[in-house]
Amino acid sequence: MIKSSKSTVSTTCGYCGVGCRLEVHPRSGVIASITAAMDGPANKGHTCLKGRFAHQFTRSDERLTTPLIREGDGFREATWDEAFERIVSEFTRIKSDHGPDAIAGLASSRATNEDCWAMQRLIRAAVGTNNIDNCSRVCHSPTSFAMRRCFGYSGATGTFNDIEAADAAILIGANATDGHPVVGARIKQAAIGGMKLVTVDPRRIELADYAELHCSMRPGTNAAVILGLANVVMTEGLTDEKFIAGRTEGYEEFAALLAEYPPEEVERITGIPADDIRTTARIYATAENACLIWGLGVTEQRYGSEVVQLMCGLAMMTGKVGRPGSALLPLRGQTNVQGSSDMGALPDTYSGYRPVSDEAVATTFEERWGVGLSREKGLTIPKMFDAAIAGELKSMFIFGEDVAQTDPNTTHVIHALQSLEFLVCQDIFMTETTKYADVILPASAFLEKEGTFINAERRIQHVAAAIDPAGDARTDFEILTTLSAALGHEMNLATPEQAMEEIAALTPEFTGVTYERLGREGLCWPVAADGSDAPILYEEKFHHANGLGTFNALPYREPGEVADDEFPLILITGRRLQHYNAGTMTRRTRNLELMESDWLEIHPDDAARLGIDELDLVSVRSHHGRIEIPARITDRIEKGNVFTAFHFPELRTNLLVGDSVEVNTGCPEYKVVAVDVRAMSEAPSGTPALVAAD
Amino acid sequence: MQVMIDGKAVEVEPGTTLLEAIQGNGGHVASLCYDERLDPFGACRVCMVGVEGAPGPLPSCTTLCREGMEISTSDETALRVAAAVVELVLSELPEAPGEHTALAVVAKQLNVTRTRWTGAVHEKDEDLRHPYLAFRHELCISCGRCVRACDEVQGAFALTVTGRGFYSNVTAGVDSGFAESSCVSCGACADTCPTDAIVELRLLELAIEQNGSGE
Repeated sequence: MIKSSKSTVSTTCGYCGVGCRLEVHPRSGVIASITAAMDGPANKGHTCLKGRFAHQFTRSDERLTTPLIREGDGFREATWDEAFERIVSEFTRIKSDHGPDAIAGLASSRATNEDCWAMQRLIRAAVGTNNIDNCSRVCHSPTSFAMRRCFGYSGATGTFNDIEAADAAILIGANATDGHPVVGARIKQAAIGGMKLVTVDPRRIELADYAELHCSMRPGTNAAVILGLANVVMTEGLTDEKFIAGRTEGYEEFAALLAEYPPEEVERITGIPADDIRTTARIYATAENACLIWGLGVTEQRYGSEVVQLMCGLAMMTGKVGRPGSALLPLRGQTNVQGSSDMGALPDTYSGYRPVSDEAVATTFEERWGVGLSREKGLTIPKMFDAAIAGELKSMFIFGEDVAQTDPNTTHVIHALQSLEFLVCQDIFMTETTKYADVILPASAFLEKEGTFINAERRIQHVAAAIDPAGDARTDFEILTTLSAALGHEMNLATPEQAMEEIAALTPEFTGVTYERLGREGLCWPVAADGSDAPILYEEKFHHANGLGTFNALPYREPGEVADDEFPLILITGRRLQHYNAGTMTRRTRNLELMESDWLEIHPDDAARLGIDELDLVSVRSHHGRIEIPARITDRIEKGNVFTAFHFPELRTNLLVGDSVEVNTGCPEYKVVAVDVRAMSEAPSGTPALVAAD
Repeated sequence: MQVMIDGKAVEVEPGTTLLEAIQGNGGHVASLCYDERLDPFGACRVCMVGVEGAPGPLPSCTTLCREGMEISTSDETALRVAAAVVELVLSELPEAPGEHTALAVVAKQLNVTRTRWTGAVHEKDEDLRHPYLAFRHELCISCGRCVRACDEVQGAFALTVTGRGFYSNVTAGVDSGFAESSCVSCGACADTCPTDAIVELRLLELAIEQNGSGE
């Protein structure tokens, strides 16, 4: 227990989308310690080793502390004025030569709502294009798309409190104890306390040990799993007829499709025994209250948005939505992946997911901002890279995202970055991406700035600065508003709080949001004018014009990549407990001592067949690239599958991932990559091959 | 149901413990092994209260309210027992607990300023192998809070108490330290520890730096 101090700052964690509330204890301008806030709604006095301990990166010697401008093969230090002048002159030149659509921006799901708001306003109003996207594109954009189609709002239907209120839950495509440790602990405790948990995952994740039943499906067959569950619900008469009749539409077509997916057929497709499909369906449907919880194992697949729509269907046919304990809970990846999209840092929508083509909405923004705005949809992240290689996109402004490490088909991404005439990066460290930058702006970490994050519960929570930005680095909000003014568009937003006032004025779901009302426990949007929020959505009706939820009859389709003779194994990627995404933060903390590098998980039978021993260096080759990595043999993974994370830039996992994307949203298919794994007889080369040998 | 706390009638739900009833009505009872996030344990015998008609003081954390119970938080016997327990606990420690620790706070509340017992004290036994969490076994009072936080908040089941009597102490895994156990480094144990027997390593370093600079 640490001494409470007057200087203690309450804020919201900047790691995953759980949104733990933290008490930060700075001493002499450096963080001495972080503890969990006892009243944090999502964490209730708990936190994980990332939120609590992994803060030393804030004063790493490698922090960017001054603007940098490219000079030859390297960079020279520059003043802020120089950096801004350079950006203004290049943006102006490119705009006049090629038009505003030759420029694109990426906002960050690790940045605050106010930062993302400023970024999308800068791109839309100061540059004049809708080429703005954010990293939710590559994680939960399919969830957003699907939930808007089925229910109306893009977000969880309830909160994490529904986990404790549930009698049963299905966890699918999420390794919560590693990826979202505090929610993982809540699920585990609920399961120990009697909640019937079913885990559905190609890996035998830790929570499987606490489950009534674990189902291992063949990667890429999630749709068949859900269709099978729904088939059992229908054929065994476990449906909630009153809910279907009174609150939904499209059930007949959905039910007709379900007839094609009896458990035996689903067993053939997914590899899950038919009886386990039946048991799972009964556990979910017969529970008084039950939750569906999922992660990127559902979304980062070719038909991810369709699977989420099917899950919405499963919930509606059993009437399990809109009350305590019956919720659909997507585990959002990064701290503000919900908010960055809510803010309209997307190429097709303004804040609150309103289309850029909507004349009335666009006009409101034009009036407020005093500029004309494009009605044309902009480019998504993958399309930006394609356009850069095609020579149509000349410049990118990438804020808080390391696309050269985290985005799929790394070779293609690097080619795109190299093809740009002018690249601006705003970050806290040099990354794989900043290597290709022309101007680098030193920014601030979440512990150094004010604003708000929105967690996976749609909960808007306050973020407060505990220490100053490093060196001459500035807060992202200050950088973006200053640059916008230099580009000729003065935002007149002096503080993040003023930005939130503007967000509230322009966004129906945020109407009643003020920093004062957020208090210590935040508010779950939509927030009405009187400040009342909505922890549980759809209690009475869905957010569609007719108030009805929509069933969508979507059949199972094969994933984008399948194993074949040349690439006989399926690679799945994900997170490790000790590290976080690109690893830029956690690799600069003592978390590295807890996990210093990664490995490839492989089943004992596959390892024996391939002559691979524990910790042998292996070559992993896909259609798209090749990496070298040590192997670890474990029966937590099914035969035929291998697993690794993507936290370590030296391993370059994403070289292996191709350009197969989700059909509706362009989210990459990180979770299904056909690979060939071979033991390597020679010593490691130290530099991974960039391109697969043909 | 209704109970009387220090002469005041209060309404409580069936199943409420005496401690919850007292705290829920603005009262206070010193305690060592109690953490509101964890199931009641009843190990430390510090949260003693007087109950009319009972043969002696009762531990408020594990005693349930009964209709008409008359509870006293200032019962002299109860306070004397609690103070004696704290005094015994302190007598085993090689140094006074840090001012900010729950043990120091409780000792102050019960006016325990010194210990009359001069028996064996624990020998210094630090384990600083983990990057974030340090064991100072000599400060462990076997209250079980860390073990229960590990089990009931996180669910890592990494900690246990081994040994008996004076020699009982907390350990991670099979005496293997945090890193080699099933510990997930969440820090819930350090959060709940009332003596800094498990403490964030950085805070220990800061304290040493401060003492080294003569403060």
